[in-house]
Amino acid sequence: MLSFVVRRIAAGALLVLVISFLSYTLLSIPDLDVGRQLLGQSASQDLVDAKNAALGLDRPVLVQYLDWLAHAVRGDLGTSWFTSEDVVRAIANRLPVTISLMAGVTLVTAVASFLLGVWAGVRRGAVDRFVQVFSVLGYALPNFLVTLVIVLVFAVRLRWFPAIGYVGIGESLTGWLSTVLLPVLSLSVGSVAGVAQQVRSSVIEVLRQDYVRTLRARGLPPSRIVLKHVLRNASAPALAVLGMQFVGLLGGAVLVEQIFGLPGIGSMTVTYTTRGDIPIIMALVMLTVIGVIAVNLVVDILIGWLNPKARIA
Amino acid sequence: MKRSATAALLVTASLIAGCSGPDGGGGTAGGARATLNIATMTLPQSLDPKDANGSALPFFQAVYDTLIKREPDGAYSPMLATEWKYDDKLTELSLTLRGDVKFDDGTPFDAAAVKANMERFRKGGGAQAKTLNDVKSIEVVDPTHVTLVLSKPNPAMLYYLSDAAGLMANPKDFAQDDTLKTRPGGTGPYELDPSQTVIGTKWVFTRTARYWGARLPYDTIAISYFDNETAIVNGIKTGQLNAALIQDADQQISVESDPKVKTAKQEFDFQGVFLFDRAGAVTPELRDPRVRQALNYAIDRPTMLAKIRQGRGAVTSQVFGPATAAYKPELDTYYSFDQAKARALLKEAGHESGFTLKLPRIPAIVPDALAASLQSDLGAVGVKLVWDDLDPGSAVQRIFKDRAYSAMVMNMGQSSADWVAVGEVVLPGAFNMFGYTDDTVKRLLPKIQGSSAQDAKADLQALNEHLVADGWFMPFYRMTYLHVSDGSVTIKPQDGMAVPAIYNYAPAQ
Repeated sequence: MLSFVVRRIAAGALLVLVISFLSYTLLSIPDLDVGRQLLGQSASQDLVDAKNAALGLDRPVLVQYLDWLAHAVRGDLGTSWFTSEDVVRAIANRLPVTISLMAGVTLVTAVASFLLGVWAGVRRGAVDRFVQVFSVLGYALPNFLVTLVIVLVFAVRLRWFPAIGYVGIGESLTGWLSTVLLPVLSLSVGSVAGVAQQVRSSVIEVLRQDYVRTLRARGLPPSRIVLKHVLRNASAPALAVLGMQFVGLLGGAVLVEQIFGLPGIGSMTVTYTTRGDIPIIMALVMLTVIGVIAVNLVVDILIGWLNPKARIA
Repeated sequence: MKRSATAALLVTASLIAGCSGPDGGGGTAGGARATLNIATMTLPQSLDPKDANGSALPFFQAVYDTLIKREPDGAYSPMLATEWKYDDKLTELSLTLRGDVKFDDGTPFDAAAVKANMERFRKGGGAQAKTLNDVKSIEVVDPTHVTLVLSKPNPAMLYYLSDAAGLMANPKDFAQDDTLKTRPGGTGPYELDPSQTVIGTKWVFTRTARYWGARLPYDTIAISYFDNETAIVNGIKTGQLNAALIQDADQQISVESDPKVKTAKQEFDFQGVFLFDRAGAVTPELRDPRVRQALNYAIDRPTMLAKIRQGRGAVTSQVFGPATAAYKPELDTYYSFDQAKARALLKEAGHESGFTLKLPRIPAIVPDALAASLQSDLGAVGVKLVWDDLDPGSAVQRIFKDRAYSAMVMNMGQSSADWVAVGEVVLPGAFNMFGYTDDTVKRLLPKIQGSSAQDAKADLQALNEHLVADGWFMPFYRMTYLHVSDGSVTIKPQDGMAVPAIYNYAPAQ
């Protein structure tokens, strides 16, 4: 297991390096006139050229990249070209918001989808049909529509929760809960629908296995069969889907953060990418890549723990 | 058991909702709000005055004073300078400064600080550095008197001194170039509170006890950045935000439906086609004024305004705004919707069979409805409009550096200062990138430049009439923007600016 983890980390490091180079190269396309964007359309070309030179954009892209890399490996990710903010601080300020959402959605998804999936898989009949209808609806409803309805009903109309903003968990636990609850709910609808369906299918498949029939014949209580044997074997594929959902959450977080006015990584990505703020974008790309690698690694380890056969693969 | 669990859930939910509900935005103190929460869609590049620009000005006004204050109606009044006077040739502007003002570290504000600030601003490479291009030298007479020597008259100089170029920072902070970017230091009514500020997200300014000037009504001003108006409208409706500017017509309708929300309308930006290529370098047909006039007659402005902006605005054929001396109300309707006349003009110009006009399209500025409307109207008179879809990043390069297009659709603010407007759209520059001029413009500009706007009113109006009649531009309409508050704030719009100055907010009675 240790060599597996070491190999995965080494491959991940190489991936980070390759992606950093590709990202920097793609971001440095000459059409993205950062100086012009900073100074506005009415600025003279001389002024724009001087600004680009001051940012080091008049150098070859490879030199710019190596300069960035040399600083990045020392933990110096520079300052934002558009807000003069220290990049590390900028991300550190926004990361807790997105982490709160992602952790919340993952927790809600894990609990709700396993409950629904097992319930549907074991009980079948009307319960199964209800869960399937919920899954189809949750998948079919556009995320932005769900989010808008939730914010309009629970925040604007009923005033139960704030419509915008974020309170740090360190400032106030209840404040934090009140600001993340609706966004988490918005993101969880589609996520729960997807994973619940996967859990249901896996549970049904495992319940048809011979060893389950044998366990039943030996007189084990149904609850013990489900919780100890079925769930353990049905969890691996569901966990893989949950891992993918976690990674994909960043995309959903963009929209939810924008609608709820949350100062997180998602909305930051949109704001700074459209402007071509390379120091910020590169840091966000690295953060995302490292996050994806880490989540996949954790999922693989968990699957290996749940199902020892998977470790060989 | 089930009942107690439900009760516990309800208690928890009410605690969560109650502890930090929608009213958490701002408290009240002594009848006046302690905090003013303003929403903005402008991200300031930094808080260093040399980077100050346009709609980011409120961030700077909190911390820095300007030499001259610009009132909501555009009139100038004393701030750090108590008096100002031009010489007879309008090339020397003498300023008398307050002698009792200190920077936040106790350093006195004086004429040397003015010189240091303006010289730094001029050479600082910021977007507005060009506004001091006509300043030849800055001469310190004594601690409270300074003279700006201009290379030529500049009727907009007082405007610039009430804007970015007039912001005064503590020269002690100039030694380290980056200090002011995130730690501003001026003589203004507030100071940035680093403990509550997250640059790029929320800036919190708290009242300075030793401020020399009139006390503003709020102890704290928080300016929060949003990248969409949906969140802003929800924040206003729930009282989490106190004031904002809403540009989108649909969002305006949404926010107006809330009876508690107070609104104030302002026409600021106009939208239209800037016909840069009047000499016909890229599109030879545009050289003929009759062709440019034909384009103006071909478009159905009232329908465009009704369909695209839900009627929120006023059709216009001129680029000067109502706050300027050049503005003539009758020019708003100079070009009627007359496609027969457009076809006749094209025929007269020898382009009866039409021609192709290729324009860049940035979807944020040219939505589908506008793109289709223009294509249809111009197509009806034989002009084939081809849209070249560009992303905002590459658009600036293709349009302004490569000069690949003869025209483009733009939204542009209408300054309250005539010479500022002239400088932006008539003089050679970014928005007259081919440097086009003609005999009438050459004759009128020196006369306008050598007088104040009011003294040059006749010439300014003649210039405006000429630009309209000669088809320099193809304006559609001025757009109505909505200043909105949650009901707790009164907002006075600022002439010539989309965003109000921070002095323009007061608790609602």
